[in-house]
Amino acid sequence: MLSYATISPMTQFSILLGSLALIATCAPAIAAEPDFTKTIGPILTKRCLGCHNASEAKGELVLLSREGLLKGGEGGVVIDAARPEESVLLKRVAAGEMPPEENGKSQALPKEEVEQIRAWILSGAKWPEGIVLNPFEVTTSTRAGLDWWSLQPIQRPNVPPAQVQGANPASENQVDSFIQESLRQKNLESAPPASHGTLLRRAYYDLIGLPPTFEEVQEFASDKFPDAYERQVDRLLASPHFGERWGRYWLDLVRYADTNGYERDAPKPGAWKYRDYVIGAINRDKPYDRFVVEQLAGDELADRTEETVIATGLLRIGTWDDEPNDALEYKYERLEDLVHVTGSAFLGLTVKCARCHDHKFDPIPQTDYYRLASAFWAGFIEARGRELMGGPSKEELGFDVLGWTDRADIPPLMLLKKGDPHRPLEEVKPATLSFVSSLVSPIASVPGNKTSQRRLAIGNWLTSPQHPLTARVAVNRLWQHHFGQALVRSPNNFGFKGELPTHPELLDYLASELKDGGWEMKRLHRKLVCSATFRQASVHPRDMEFRERDVANTLWWKANRRRLDAEALRDTILSASGQLSRQAGGPGFFPHLNSDALEGLSTKDKAWQSSPADQQARRSIYIFSKRSLLLPLLTTFDFCDTTQPCGQRDVNVVAPQALALLNNEFTHRASEKLADQMLRDRNLSPWHLILGREPSRDERFEMIAFVVEQTNLFASNPATKKDAERFALASLCHVLLNTNELIYVD
Amino acid sequence: MSTDTASNTSPTRKRENSAPAAENAATPSLAHRVSDSTRFPCGLVRREFVWQMGAGFAGLALSSLLGESGFFTRHASAGETASGQKNPLAPRPSHFATKAKACIFLIMNGGPSQVDTFDYKPALDKFAGKPLPPDKKYINSGGRKVGFLTPPPRKFKPGGKSGLLISDFFPNVREHADKLAVVRSCHTDSHAHGSALVAMNTGSTFIGRPSMGSWCVYGLGAENQNLPGYVVLMDKRGGPIGGQPNWSSGFMPAAFQGTLFRPAGDPILDLRGPVHVDAKVQRNRLDLLAKLNEEHLKERPGGEELVARIQSYELAYRMQSEAPEAVDLAREDQKTLDAYGVGKAPTDEFGKNCLIARRLVERGVRFVQLYSGGGHLEDTWDAHKGIESNHGQHAGEVDQPIAALLTDLAKRGLLDSTLILWGGEFGRMPFSEGVNEPGRNHNPYGFSMWLAGGGVKGGTWHGETDDFGFEAVVNKAHVHDIHATVLHLMGLDHKRLTYFHQGRDERLTDVYGNVIKEVLA
Repeated sequence: MLSYATISPMTQFSILLGSLALIATCAPAIAAEPDFTKTIGPILTKRCLGCHNASEAKGELVLLSREGLLKGGEGGVVIDAARPEESVLLKRVAAGEMPPEENGKSQALPKEEVEQIRAWILSGAKWPEGIVLNPFEVTTSTRAGLDWWSLQPIQRPNVPPAQVQGANPASENQVDSFIQESLRQKNLESAPPASHGTLLRRAYYDLIGLPPTFEEVQEFASDKFPDAYERQVDRLLASPHFGERWGRYWLDLVRYADTNGYERDAPKPGAWKYRDYVIGAINRDKPYDRFVVEQLAGDELADRTEETVIATGLLRIGTWDDEPNDALEYKYERLEDLVHVTGSAFLGLTVKCARCHDHKFDPIPQTDYYRLASAFWAGFIEARGRELMGGPSKEELGFDVLGWTDRADIPPLMLLKKGDPHRPLEEVKPATLSFVSSLVSPIASVPGNKTSQRRLAIGNWLTSPQHPLTARVAVNRLWQHHFGQALVRSPNNFGFKGELPTHPELLDYLASELKDGGWEMKRLHRKLVCSATFRQASVHPRDMEFRERDVANTLWWKANRRRLDAEALRDTILSASGQLSRQAGGPGFFPHLNSDALEGLSTKDKAWQSSPADQQARRSIYIFSKRSLLLPLLTTFDFCDTTQPCGQRDVNVVAPQALALLNNEFTHRASEKLADQMLRDRNLSPWHLILGREPSRDERFEMIAFVVEQTNLFASNPATKKDAERFALASLCHVLLNTNELIYVD
Repeated sequence: MSTDTASNTSPTRKRENSAPAAENAATPSLAHRVSDSTRFPCGLVRREFVWQMGAGFAGLALSSLLGESGFFTRHASAGETASGQKNPLAPRPSHFATKAKACIFLIMNGGPSQVDTFDYKPALDKFAGKPLPPDKKYINSGGRKVGFLTPPPRKFKPGGKSGLLISDFFPNVREHADKLAVVRSCHTDSHAHGSALVAMNTGSTFIGRPSMGSWCVYGLGAENQNLPGYVVLMDKRGGPIGGQPNWSSGFMPAAFQGTLFRPAGDPILDLRGPVHVDAKVQRNRLDLLAKLNEEHLKERPGGEELVARIQSYELAYRMQSEAPEAVDLAREDQKTLDAYGVGKAPTDEFGKNCLIARRLVERGVRFVQLYSGGGHLEDTWDAHKGIESNHGQHAGEVDQPIAALLTDLAKRGLLDSTLILWGGEFGRMPFSEGVNEPGRNHNPYGFSMWLAGGGVKGGTWHGETDDFGFEAVVNKAHVHDIHATVLHLMGLDHKRLTYFHQGRDERLTDVYGNVIKEVLA
């Protein structure tokens, strides 16, 4: 756990407080002169530099150096040498006015710290020569420093000795070794392996987002070869549906949609090619480093192709206002969007927070924001003709696709005081972010290149083997989507306000595997899915007991039961009812919406023309994603917000979801399709078709009784009398489509 | 399957235990039905079928699993399950004691003109036909023609004891002058409909943030779990420009987003299935579903999410009856319908919506937003062609219903606990769009909004625009200030109501906003 150069911030905090308390207790009645480096420096860093730093300089007071302290702020000097007790700094701190309250909560210093400041000022406020406080140097109780865990080099840890108990003694999967080690420390043990049916269903949803058929489950159950499961996993990893499942996670992350949003919400021509690029890259196991570089700088590559230029669609698929209120301000809004998507998706850091001031919680000075932003500043960030949609023309790009490239003449990008476009300060030279000093490099323009190569430099920096974040962030997402929760449970934020890793060594092990294995993802997918940890049951014989020790299952003593996400749910209903179209790629389709659902649109049905019938049953990833009208069936089941990067969707259980599945014609149509199949072939069982298993004896009885009752009900209604049996069978299927068993994956 | 089981349970006993919904004189007995029929569901031969029937199943009624019998009290309390999984809509206490429990936001989509409604400017008569002084800078939205200072087409008159000046576009609302607090110094950040409306709803001109209703429901939860906590009633002519982001929950869970309510028939999407699925069919389906889910749960002890989902079906079932009831105006007497102008042009639609708003607030809905104006241009308050023609139409549609709402709420003792907010996304210019072109262009620099009801000091006005009503100059009130004030009146401190997202404690008012104390009672 302590393999990182830093201790957890809480531990550090307590050490810090401990030393303060020690000093306070030892202090005689007449205050002794405190040690600047040990006490005053840390107090200033922790309590004052958040605002009184170079970038923000609140009240024009900068407390980084002796000069700043002596210079004072807009109200004059803050240290009164003649009457130290009257010093503004002391008075305001002692009165609890500084630091100011935040969100209505007082930030007043603890008494001991006030006394330290008082003793320091009364003894002459000495600031040793040459000492300049670095607000980012060390992690404090309120912010992360350069020693923050996620910014330290990735170190391949030793794999704990394999001691897998119970579940699968033959397993030599290193993933299990790490998990078992942490379980053992907490005196917990894994759940037994999941049953064949449960495991296969889980693997199917996990890898391709579709359920196995009854026959596939039967076949798997009867496959007695020891590698039966591994062969299933390999087959699913090779399925074209794999990219459709895992591509969607990426699309969430990069705020993908097919329209601009805002007043006209115009379609983005060819946005779908970026979606298909993502699916294809995942299916072909494009190395992750290449995947990153292509999306940021596919147009700058020496071996650029139409495909790599389509990849830069990442920089075009965000919201775009064709009629911004203030064109100058809007340029900087766009910059923030591009910095934010880069920071969230690749770095797992909230770099955007440093737009107006140094980052409040992470070691990202304001300059860093502009250094990264300069990579996008080189492109067509300025509003031009509406038809260009904020990007290059096809001539400028070289291809008729939705992509990104640089302008010929790039104006300098200035640091903006408080992020205000009307208050430019000095020019910022393009460079990578500064949090790992050995990786920092300025980006020089190379004469003769068509583009500035700035984005390429950022891409190369991100994918450098020494980069501490890229691989960690990527494997963390892999874990997250396979297991339901990530190892760092804030997948888009590896900074101070994010979560600490539950298994830091496992995270580093996986990150090392990714980098050392040529950044290939499928190998890692396979390792995770074939682990005993993945294969355990979601119920545990000692559930109640273990829950008391680890309620959130952070140590993985059982599998997490997961609700199908919106797409998997819709695709499942299509698949179970035999309607699913497996047509891959191409322009998005418009599912049928009734006029009620269109009422929220200013243009009503003009903006939404349903696609032809043969398109209606395609997989949900191919639904045209219109920002002003997302499909209600999807949003009801927690489809992501399309305006900002989404690392993890919410999972809510609310009544409108029940209404949608009970009443939406989509479910009714599926039920009736199923009924028609069963009428044609009376050997078909709805349990096989919908739940992929045999009904229990009780269920069989219930089914019969229910169908009889339903037949009677429909027969007693003149309108349905003729088709009473069909409707009754549809009723049964409708119930099964609504069950918890269908929507939860054990 | 053993024959013992079959002989132990008689079909008669099965009938006794089956769901009440199946007890129906019109339904032939099962035995009769079986012997009568030559077709058996699921391809079973008759003998097998009868035998399985004989084995029977104790059809547990859902009502015995759920509701009164304590199923959920065994598994979960109303708001929280054993593992701490929270119902996002469970009621929560406000930050401080307050009068208002609900808010009705009457949004005049398109931008009503302040100088023609609630901000009287005699200088417009005096300087009629002159241009706006050149030192007044503004963005000419849409690059439209710039005409001349133009007085309002209708007269202003004082209303109530306070003498609040309100024009003849709102003669009925004027009767309630002593209930209103008009903020005449509003300003916003955009001159374009799409972004200004999003700003009025979410505080930001950029889409993607939660709307004010979402913040209220996030802060306070919902009083009535059988209805959505945040309801939006559209204008029949269409949704607002920009659509969904206006009632979105942004980065918050979707449970906090506004639910579109339609004024007629089924108010929400998917409230009813196809016609052939009648109440009995559905109840019978839900009973089987509950039984299957209960069996599924038995093998998965501690599955709180499974319990929550079972519960959601009962909630949905109740919503199915309660939501149509909430919009069923047949339950109102004729006098009330007449007061709101229901059943006659041009007030019918907005009158219905106002009446529905009252019924929703009565039933514990936290936040109701009513759109006047929908679609584009003259179908909204976007009076580019002419104030008299446009505002004549739209004010004519809403004046009587709004007045009736204020009367009705007061009569029922609900006005004290209901906050009313009226306004558009921006105002309009004091000048016309040309000679004989009496329309006015967009104006984000100065416009009027008013509040009434719970906690509001009636008969007051706050802030001023300049002599022409062009821009706010005294006690300026930004949209953030309006939002801070609304939250305050709802018992929420806009600085403390935060949602942690992407490394930051987000607020409706971002880092801005001051409560306008002058409008508080």
